Amino acid sequence: MIELKNLTKSFSVKTGKGFKKEITTVNAVDNVSFTCKPGRIFSLLGPNGAGKTTTLRMIAGIINPTSGTAIVDGVDISNGNDAVKKRIGFLTGSTGLYERLNPDETIDFFGKVYKLPSSELQERKEYLFEKLGINAFRKKRVGQMSTGMKQKVSIARTLIHDPEVLIFDEPTSGLDVITADSIIDLIRESKESNKTVIFSSHIMSEVDLLCDDLAIISKGAIIYNDSFDHFKKEMTAKNLTQEFINRVNQS
Amino acid sequence: MNDLLLIIKKELSELLRDKKTIINSIVLPTLLVPILIFGAIKVTELINKNEKQKSVKIGLVNAPQNFVDIVRNDTLNKITNYDAAIDFKTLIDEGTIQTAVVFPLDWEQQMDSLTTSTVQIYRNGTKDNVNKRVSSMLETYNTRLKEQRIAQLQIPVEKMTPFQENYIEVGEQKELIGKRIGGFIPYLFILTMWGGCLLAAIDLVTGEKERKTIETTLSLPISKFKVLLGKAIVASILGFIPAVLNLVGLIAGLKLFDGIPDTLKLAINEMLNFQSVTMIMLLLIPFALFLAGFIIALVAGATTFKEAQSKATPIIMLIIIPLVLAMMPGIELTWATVPVPVLNIGLGVKEIMAGTIDMLQYVAILLSLIAFAVTAIYFSYKKFSDENAILK
Repeated sequence: MIELKNLTKSFSVKTGKGFKKEITTVNAVDNVSFTCKPGRIFSLLGPNGAGKTTTLRMIAGIINPTSGTAIVDGVDISNGNDAVKKRIGFLTGSTGLYERLNPDETIDFFGKVYKLPSSELQERKEYLFEKLGINAFRKKRVGQMSTGMKQKVSIARTLIHDPEVLIFDEPTSGLDVITADSIIDLIRESKESNKTVIFSSHIMSEVDLLCDDLAIISKGAIIYNDSFDHFKKEMTAKNLTQEFINRVNQS
Repeated sequence: MNDLLLIIKKELSELLRDKKTIINSIVLPTLLVPILIFGAIKVTELINKNEKQKSVKIGLVNAPQNFVDIVRNDTLNKITNYDAAIDFKTLIDEGTIQTAVVFPLDWEQQMDSLTTSTVQIYRNGTKDNVNKRVSSMLETYNTRLKEQRIAQLQIPVEKMTPFQENYIEVGEQKELIGKRIGGFIPYLFILTMWGGCLLAAIDLVTGEKERKTIETTLSLPISKFKVLLGKAIVASILGFIPAVLNLVGLIAGLKLFDGIPDTLKLAINEMLNFQSVTMIMLLLIPFALFLAGFIIALVAGATTFKEAQSKATPIIMLIIIPLVLAMMPGIELTWATVPVPVLNIGLGVKEIMAGTIDMLQYVAILLSLIAFAVTAIYFSYKKFSDENAILK
């Protein structure tokens, strides 16, 4: 479970020219609260620059909130990031892989970092490699692999420690339909395994396919937070994309 | 500790698979000094050989026969006789002759009357080879004339020599050479250390941003401090290795190549003994960490390799200036220079090689370098923790 309570992130921005500089504080995320339940897929929607990535980075312990907090799988993020990070699988379009390592070395590295016992690490690695079809290129350096191959390895490294919480930030961005489909499958399987899944996207067809609960974020603030069924019932526009645009424009 | 080792192992594996790193941190530093030594020996030999084989075109005016004989003895000299002093500047500029020696018209009379005469030498100060050879011939002629006069005046030789200088060297050869060339050695390996650290630090921080792996690294359940420390240690190793290889190359170069004077060879061998090398290496460990931390702090905000390089490159002046100062003869290791980074290493290595290091000052240098390393790591951690800089 993920529970966000008044999560806020402020950034200082320098403006002005020459010696006349002004520092203004901008709230990239402003008092955001929502709950993601296990066995359900929570979609965080919003236009570019709305604060999705910042929110997810705070949940994943990559950046610290200015105020407010989040409880991830029973651990308060303000009590230390490392305990939270161990419980999370974080996959985004910008979580690249180490290009000079091969998939075997990559997964071994992540497994050791997550302190998996050696036998468990080997077992889980073999399971994921088999399931994702990585065996054929397990000794090839990541830098020499295709985007699809890389994405498979990224999925394996996200799941190697069998995390209770999975965070996907625009995970299919820039991928071809076949590779994107493997991610969709992964998200669906995670839900079936009773994991807590949160994902951000602006591809409404993906949302329609996966989403159980939904929050829309605009200019750093939550403008909608309810079940996807409820969202669809309340819809006044003829399709999801238009409804999303209307709600963002009205905010 | 385990997490730190995991980071170090991962970063080292990654860096050592990069051809650029292998060439810059291992191949070049190992070969640099032997190539420099071999090149210097060969080039000097070649220049000397060429100079000796070059003919010198000399113009002579009123030259006495015995001087002409001296000039003719060197078969490479080409003599042109002139009746009087003419526009030698133009002739030298045009290359018709390279130098001209003008004796006065009444030279013989002046010599007979044992007076001091004047010989005019037209020359271009930049032509060292020509000038050296002409000076040598004139000196030979002058000495010969002096001896003739002494004989003619029947003066015993000892009366013309009030005293002879007899130098007794009390300094050891090692001390003498250590002080003279000891400053050059840190110049060599600190610059390669800087290059190694720079390349590694940029690859480990800015390179991660370019390869989009920084967010992956930050999502690991390892504290940012350990991640940063791991990177700094790896960058310092990649700076330390080239410095060690430089020294190995220097020792190998001295052993392998002929043409180095035996006294110099012996003195350097004595200087680079186990104790000196260990003492130098001990200084380089905290210094490498200091450099790595310093460079990481500098490049943490850069988003591209180019930007990182342009931020870090001007700082090389802060390395070169103290190193040049350390090579200057008047600057010594004192309590005032002990805490100045780079300068203290330069001067310290000089003293270590000369065998004259004060152990108290050595310990002070070591402690000051450790303090600088800790400070640099602290600042790099601050920059690495700056979300605006690192996730830019």
